[in-house]
Amino acid sequence: MRDDLKVGVFLCECGGNIADTVDLNKVREELDVEFIGQFENLCSLNGCKIIRDAIFDIGLDRVVVAACSPISHEKTFQDYIKPLNPYLMDMANIREQCSWVHSDKEKATDKAIALINASIEKVKQSDAVDPIYCQTPTETAVIGGGIAGMNAALSLAKQGTKVTLIEQSPSIGGHMAKIGKVFSPVKIAEECGMCLLNPILNELVWNENIDVLTNTKVIEAKRRAGTYNLILEKSPRYVDTEKCIACGKCAEVCEVEVPNDWNDNLSMHKAIYRPFGQSYPESYVIDMDNCIKCGNCVKECSMRAINLREKEERIPLQVGSVIVATGHKLYDMEKRPEYGYTLFRDVITQSELGRIIGVNGPTKGKLLRSNGKVPKRVVMIQCVGSRDEKPDGHKYCSKICCTVALKNANIIKHKHPDTDVLICYTDVRTPGMFEKYYKHIQENGVRFLRGRPGEVVKKGGNLIVRTEDTLKGEFIEIEADLVVLSTAMEPSEGTKEIAEILNLGTTEDGFIKESHPKIKPVATDVQGIYVCGTAHEPKDITDSIMQATAAASKVSEYNHGGVEIEPFIAQIDTDKCAVCGECINRCKYKSMSIQNDEIYIDPMSCTGCGKCLVGCSQHAITVNGNIDEKIFATMKGILSKKKDGERVILVFLDNIGYAAADNIGVNRLSYPESIHIIKVISVNRVRPRHIRYALENGADGVFIGEFPGDLMYDEVELKIQGVKDRLEELGEDPNRLTFSKVYIPYFSGLARKFNEFDAKIAKLDETE
Amino acid sequence: MTFKQKINDSPIDFAIEIINDVKNSKDEGVLKCVQCGMCTSTCPAAHHSDYNPRDIIEKVLAGDESIISEENIWNCFYCYTCHSVCPVGNSVCEVNQILKQIAIAKEIGYDKLYEYLGFADSYFTAAIGAIPERFFPDIGQDVPGWWNFRQNLEEIRNELELDSLMPSKEVIDEVSKILTITGFKSKIERIRASEEVEK
Repeated sequence: MRDDLKVGVFLCECGGNIADTVDLNKVREELDVEFIGQFENLCSLNGCKIIRDAIFDIGLDRVVVAACSPISHEKTFQDYIKPLNPYLMDMANIREQCSWVHSDKEKATDKAIALINASIEKVKQSDAVDPIYCQTPTETAVIGGGIAGMNAALSLAKQGTKVTLIEQSPSIGGHMAKIGKVFSPVKIAEECGMCLLNPILNELVWNENIDVLTNTKVIEAKRRAGTYNLILEKSPRYVDTEKCIACGKCAEVCEVEVPNDWNDNLSMHKAIYRPFGQSYPESYVIDMDNCIKCGNCVKECSMRAINLREKEERIPLQVGSVIVATGHKLYDMEKRPEYGYTLFRDVITQSELGRIIGVNGPTKGKLLRSNGKVPKRVVMIQCVGSRDEKPDGHKYCSKICCTVALKNANIIKHKHPDTDVLICYTDVRTPGMFEKYYKHIQENGVRFLRGRPGEVVKKGGNLIVRTEDTLKGEFIEIEADLVVLSTAMEPSEGTKEIAEILNLGTTEDGFIKESHPKIKPVATDVQGIYVCGTAHEPKDITDSIMQATAAASKVSEYNHGGVEIEPFIAQIDTDKCAVCGECINRCKYKSMSIQNDEIYIDPMSCTGCGKCLVGCSQHAITVNGNIDEKIFATMKGILSKKKDGERVILVFLDNIGYAAADNIGVNRLSYPESIHIIKVISVNRVRPRHIRYALENGADGVFIGEFPGDLMYDEVELKIQGVKDRLEELGEDPNRLTFSKVYIPYFSGLARKFNEFDAKIAKLDETE
Repeated sequence: MTFKQKINDSPIDFAIEIINDVKNSKDEGVLKCVQCGMCTSTCPAAHHSDYNPRDIIEKVLAGDESIISEENIWNCFYCYTCHSVCPVGNSVCEVNQILKQIAIAKEIGYDKLYEYLGFADSYFTAAIGAIPERFFPDIGQDVPGWWNFRQNLEEIRNELELDSLMPSKEVIDEVSKILTITGFKSKIERIRASEEVEK
């Protein structure tokens, strides 16, 4: 039936690029098809006419275009074959993978014939399938109301996107609101952080496209065809933000004092409080863990804004994309008892120092020790919890601590020129313009000692920092009356929670992992979810804002472009499916889920690798597009043209490997004519029975290449080893099968591997 | 003075030799040292002598094999503090032990070992490492009750229904045999001979 299909082959001369090396006349003689067309540039509009006329005049059912690589022109020719379905056309790559890599005309011609024949056999197995278009809702959730989340939300809102900004604490603002002064390397000065933050906060509050939800967190997330259904939980604030005018009378009558965590617990606030002066919403909030429900505040409030019986609320939210900006927390100093943080009141962190020297802090900006006196010597210890492979330490550099120490040291020096400030460092990391800031701070008299202190002890009233001055090679005990620890940045609890809820990949350190560190720095491994700020890795305010706006831009791309998906993905027969969930466990791309008691396959994340269908006990899963049969047909097409004494090696590559192979041709390197490359949507689709078929029907060798970054790499490698073992059991030579890493830029390595494998197979052929 | 590094010099070889030593448990830890000095800042030997663990690694990484002849390396008494505090997972303590073994193999620093030969002897007489008798008076003075405990140890073990501390003769013979075949015995004899000469 499929053999009766009318197939037309169109040969492209490519202005001599192909015709000079491949004898197209001979090719025409060898092919057995309904129609053969030829033109010097098939991709031109004239070429389009030739193809279209033939389709109409002859009534072609299938089309093979023998020309360049499908990477160059597949879309063009899919368009040229209209009204045929785009997937009823196949390209035989006789340029990048034939005329550009071979010089022997006769052999190149034979290979071109084999490649075209493979396409003819393959296209006969093709069925009409429609590409899947996905349009996602444009509404976006931004999780986390710090500087990154605020900027991402604002950028999207200004582009017309409706944004819900979700913050779990009672106010947006994040860490930036509390750090006091921020460093500016270009101005070589410290600036008021709140003064920079406030305009952004105001703009955000007044933007109609942004809905700010504080005291709220995401507790559940489900995804279906690019739509996220989030369930939010809004904790009670016990104060109506619409009614409260933030007059503060309630706090005056409140009798309960609670440590003020915005001041790093260095001061107290009442159980009814406003988080900080510029907090938003501009409203008080009750700390119900500590409230004794005396009712004083309720009586005092003239606005009747307080309701002690308020309950938590669940809010459903439907969005198309999500930006995760859940931030960081600072290293827990209990993990480094040697620095005496929990023992000595005058051992503090940089964050606490920031509060102490902040004008809105516990001492109103006065630098005071626990005894109320100005310190004579401040010693700062760098890399606390960072660059530390010991248990509970972090291997990474927290990136900002050097500059934070410089900033705080300079502020101290500015206020108290007589106070000696010494920074104990391992390396001072001030890249780019920050180096100018470092020099400036040195000029201001801050001292530096190269050495990583081992411990802080107390001797006769003073703190002693024990360290080696490594430049002198001397052990030194430094007396200090204030020790400041530059603690590591680590992922916040919220970051860890959201990664779990949204099923996002994380780094070994618990930060949210980008889908590619170089070229996709804001995308996560889940489509439609982006990351920015310190939820991603340690970074400063500037970098957080840049990444936030980049994430917003990516959401806009997604919202405007929609997504077209190749239809060769898994499909489920719900009549057969027992909803056992095995496929969900097997899928490496997180594309399967249970929705409304049925297995749902997300077309946007499924790659068609077929791992799920192998594990389906009900045989309820298929992959669209007749993939297995196409692979058999392609092999048959090549092997049926094999001549006596000719060596044929079949090479299976997916998109990445195929691009690497094309690069060999583009760079005019060469490899043996025996190499015949077959493009597959996933190398996992090459089944053991395909490999056995190849070796039993004339293939001298089978080469399978996979990009190590592919999530299926390890599985494929294991599978190939399994097939090799099986071949050995069957008395076949397992050396005729090989598995290899492929990388797009490393095309010369791939060419070398082709040469080596061909030589190895040639030797095997000789000995047998 | 200018130190000249020739094109064929390979300073890293010394570090690699140490990494490949069977005693090294820290893989490539030595190579990851950034000379932060945390080891030295916590090292008791560094506080009371010129021993400097950071300096040891600096010399090893520079390929400076003269380190094995330095008196200071014998000041480490294996408290393992450097081992436990190193932020890059190195162990100067282990490196030190490897350096000492290299020294001993080259017959360097024998005089540092004379005092401890009694330990080695106890492996042949008791198949265990026992405190040499020459240390008894000091310990007796520093640890009240120790001498009494030591003298009545067998009796105390008896009361507690524990076996004798002393292994059987077969065990002792076997251990002695192993120590002889592996060259431990001849090594000890060489050191003792050297001590005799010095006397």
